[in-house]
Amino acid sequence: MISKSLALKVLNECLSTGGDYAEIYVEETTNQSVELENGKVNSSNESKTYGVGIRILNEFKSVYGYTSDTTQTSLMNLAHSLAASYSGIRKITVEKIAKKRVNNINKIDDHLIDVPVEEKIALLKECTAEAQSVDPRIVRVMASFGNSHRNWELFNAEGPVASQIVNTEERGRLYVAALAAGEDGKIETGGVAPGRSDGWHWFKELDYKAKSRRAAEVAIQNLSAGECPSGVYPVVITNGWGGVLFHEACGHPLEASATAKKQSVFSESIGKQIASKLVTAYDDGTIPNEWGSNSIDSEGVKTHKNCLIKNGICTGFMVDRLNGRRLGMEPNGTCRRESYKYAPTSRMSNTYIAAGKDDPEQIVKDTKLGIYVNNFGGGSVNPMTGEFNFSASEAYIIRDGKICEPVRGCTLIGSGSEVLMNIDRVGNDVDLGQGNCGASSGMVPVNVGQPTLRISAITVGGRGGKLE
Amino acid sequence: MKVAKFFELAKANGISECQLTVSQSKTTGFQIFHGSLEGFEISDDISIKACGVVNGKLGASSTQKVGKGCFEFLIDGILKTAKISEKEGEASIFPGSKKYHKKNVYNPELVKTPIEDKINMALSLEKEILAYDSRISEVTVIQYEEKETVSEIYNSHGLKLKDKGNYFIMYAGVAAKDGDKVKENYEISYGTSLSSYNKDEFIKNACDGVISKFGADSCNSGKYPTVLKNSVFASIANYFIHSTIAEEVQRGSSFLAGKLGTKIASTKINIAEKPLLPNIFFSYFDDEGVAKENKDIVKNGVLKTYLYNTETAKIDGVESTGNGRYAGGRLATSFSNIYIKGGKATFDEMIAPINEGVYITDIQGLGTGMNARSGDFSCQAQGFMIENGKVTKPLTLITLSGNLFKMLNEVTAFDNNEKLTLSSIICSDILIKSMSIGGK
Repeated sequence: MISKSLALKVLNECLSTGGDYAEIYVEETTNQSVELENGKVNSSNESKTYGVGIRILNEFKSVYGYTSDTTQTSLMNLAHSLAASYSGIRKITVEKIAKKRVNNINKIDDHLIDVPVEEKIALLKECTAEAQSVDPRIVRVMASFGNSHRNWELFNAEGPVASQIVNTEERGRLYVAALAAGEDGKIETGGVAPGRSDGWHWFKELDYKAKSRRAAEVAIQNLSAGECPSGVYPVVITNGWGGVLFHEACGHPLEASATAKKQSVFSESIGKQIASKLVTAYDDGTIPNEWGSNSIDSEGVKTHKNCLIKNGICTGFMVDRLNGRRLGMEPNGTCRRESYKYAPTSRMSNTYIAAGKDDPEQIVKDTKLGIYVNNFGGGSVNPMTGEFNFSASEAYIIRDGKICEPVRGCTLIGSGSEVLMNIDRVGNDVDLGQGNCGASSGMVPVNVGQPTLRISAITVGGRGGKLE
Repeated sequence: MKVAKFFELAKANGISECQLTVSQSKTTGFQIFHGSLEGFEISDDISIKACGVVNGKLGASSTQKVGKGCFEFLIDGILKTAKISEKEGEASIFPGSKKYHKKNVYNPELVKTPIEDKINMALSLEKEILAYDSRISEVTVIQYEEKETVSEIYNSHGLKLKDKGNYFIMYAGVAAKDGDKVKENYEISYGTSLSSYNKDEFIKNACDGVISKFGADSCNSGKYPTVLKNSVFASIANYFIHSTIAEEVQRGSSFLAGKLGTKIASTKINIAEKPLLPNIFFSYFDDEGVAKENKDIVKNGVLKTYLYNTETAKIDGVESTGNGRYAGGRLATSFSNIYIKGGKATFDEMIAPINEGVYITDIQGLGTGMNARSGDFSCQAQGFMIENGKVTKPLTLITLSGNLFKMLNEVTAFDNNEKLTLSSIICSDILIKSMSIGGK
């Protein structure tokens, strides 16, 4: 993508004013998407993201610059301007560049980029027909497929021998959203969005018909759902995408970008109990072909299975190079970025609460009065205070150990430190769900995950008054 | 860039009409942390979008890889995407408007001010925030960013348009500690000129905002007269504006379908789009090259127009309102500088008659808590109680819920505290007769 000799020149220019680490990230990504509305191709797009990001560290300081002009003049100018932020004398001269091998964990033979768009359209038409077949009140079905193929190259140096790393990331995601219209003008939606770092066969073998029907069923169900009650209740959260609560309330505050500057509720928590003893949690970027997986991170560090919480005790953070320096910790393969336009930092990959011992059905049976959340729309957290909010897109009332009537407009609010301690049942059915997570280094694909679990008490916001 | 060459190549490939959009941006930014310059960022970026009509269907592509093969990639993308399009109707490229209200809002002074001055400005801001009150424990970050953008549109009908703008954003995160309680707040200032940055006001907002959160508690669940701070009202109003987009209406997924010319909100509600206001959101043409105009959207509670691009305008037999936007290969709709008319009373005067109410200063999670179609929403909120006409104890971990359209029919008053928010909405604080607050 850029020549080794140019990389060498640029790295040395970067390090001319006393920087102790320099990197060049070169990216060329092809994005393809096609979207159907009610079974007809509404739009499609093919685009290319292309550019270079250069970063120079000097102890705890970082300078970053990017450009889509990858000529020698442009890159040398950029390196020069960035280096001008430091005023020291050269500590490192890069003499050579050695290529580092990457063991690709996401092996793919049938690349999505090679699949004729007509095949993708055919699959989307099937999804549409399934969703439409559920109920005549399904008035609109949006079905789309998007995939990206990113080739990137990293040159980085901390000493006289720089590394060159070449990597490819491929991902695809299917979206089906159904819109239901009620007689009174009420409109509700339901959706599914499975994704993976995998080939076309995975999508073909996926039970996309059942998933499409489910999207429509939820939309229909929400048409007649009553308003969610408000108050403090036990809440049972389903496996898979339910883990978004953990992602927000606990995952973000465990990123070194928050803990290194003591700006997280968990900054001083290593070795301390931060969750119920039933909770063990990992961030694992190494699961082959998963949505959030990668062979190496944006700094060229191999991804790991990092244990964050073991039996309720905080055991580690997600650590990138820069924040690791503040913490005195080694980077652990969690440094990520959306594209060359973002300086990379510690982020989650596939983050999940590990399986416990309970039978998920028994957890519901043992709950007298509460809320069952089967799907979340999303949520956000303030890492400093740990306060979070989540909105459920599919929820039910639990009465006498049974899942009863659906409710809509359900929001869960609380603080991460409290809710983790209040987890009193953990099921044995761990699963993952796909999402896109936004933070300072842009949007990155992440898996969230958990088994079915119960929070003994959490504030539920809704407009349906008190639960009786 | 040899634009003519692109049009030639397009024609030779059977593309009957086409448009090329070139967007360039340059940024400079830095972060201050604990008294020193911790991060510095610069960028120089370009993106080229192309769209064209092949056999009556629209195709689109984009790239950042300029140089050899760039035009070929774009044309190949147009051909491929147009071929599979099943969109009804004959696509076309807008030739150009008769008149454009061009203005120069680019401020050369901003870039002339040396970066060292801006860094010193941020460093002294940090010092003064820390000195404001003994409970201020930390300035979590100060971020400064300056951006310069140039956008150009060319089409095969001979249209050439160019717009250049720049702006700065200053952001400070502030934390305060009282015993073992930590509270956080942030403040943002932005504009085309540094003279619009008022340091004293910035510090006061940042610090008073965080200190006032101490002792915050939930309140009893119930219905209260509710004041929404201008920034909160803007976040919610954003969904209302979205419902006026013609595409949503034509699909039947907007609550406002069939409501044109009817009363849909309190007579106190007046909403206009003023894209020609010379602020950081100024623009005089949309992504299709249609001239932008200021216009009423809601007048005394009556819905006056939907927002159109050329495609949706054709369906309704009207002219585009200059709201076209190309996004991800399709023609969508956007808006800028939405102006919601405020009132004459001050904030204190507006809340004086409230015996027991709630003042919401911040909300989170509206993105997932809002059903944009029905207008039902529920989100986490923070704010204060209003008792006997005065702002009293702070509130946290409460939920605010209601229905957007119902809310706009239950407006009691606006104050005169108009603010331009980063969501491109200008509005003041608003008092709603009654809203649901979830708490204890």
